[in-house]
Amino acid sequence: MRAYEIVYIFDSQLTDEQIQEKLDRFHTHLTETGGGDISTVDQWGRRQLAFPVRKRTNGYYIVTQFSAPADALPEFERLLKLDEGLLRYLIVLHEGEPTAPMSIATRTRPEGADEDDDDDSDDEGDDR
Amino acid sequence: MTRRGSKSCPLCESGVRWINYKDDRTLSRLTTEQGKILPRRMTGMCARHQRQVSLAIKRARYLALLPYLGRSPSQA
Repeated sequence: MRAYEIVYIFDSQLTDEQIQEKLDRFHTHLTETGGGDISTVDQWGRRQLAFPVRKRTNGYYIVTQFSAPADALPEFERLLKLDEGLLRYLIVLHEGEPTAPMSIATRTRPEGADEDDDDDSDDEGDDR
Repeated sequence: MTRRGSKSCPLCESGVRWINYKDDRTLSRLTTEQGKILPRRMTGMCARHQRQVSLAIKRARYLALLPYLGRSPSQA
């Protein structure tokens, strides 16, 4: 078993129920077929993409930490690739960094609100 | 040219151990307007942190958290 982290980007035009249903399907696959273990699920919600992906400008981000045997992953990824509603996913080894899921989400979500005062604080490169 | 004023890596000084690829706010400060990764000579980071940052930025790009191409350079 190894610890992994996966970021899903779902098509934001799906309803919340559809997304939840897909997520449940993926996770049951991981736990039942793959013999893995889900530790945390962090829903970021809808967020604007930095560039269009499959002609979509928004995505629904979900981050999950799980552990699974390495040989369960190919089958899991095959399932992910077959899903049309999943724009992208990224599986990485979950490294020592402490899990602080909500802090990321709360910092990322109110994008327009308090962004400006943060940004010009210590840019070193741009003014040259 | 900004020769780094301080010799030490800003991330080491602030005690950062892992760069989070999901933290697009922090990472966007380490890229230029065009979306390029800032070089070591501008960030003054140690090799270890610069490597981590560049990997994190590349992951963030794949996840559409950061642009591959930002604003195009305007002719001055």
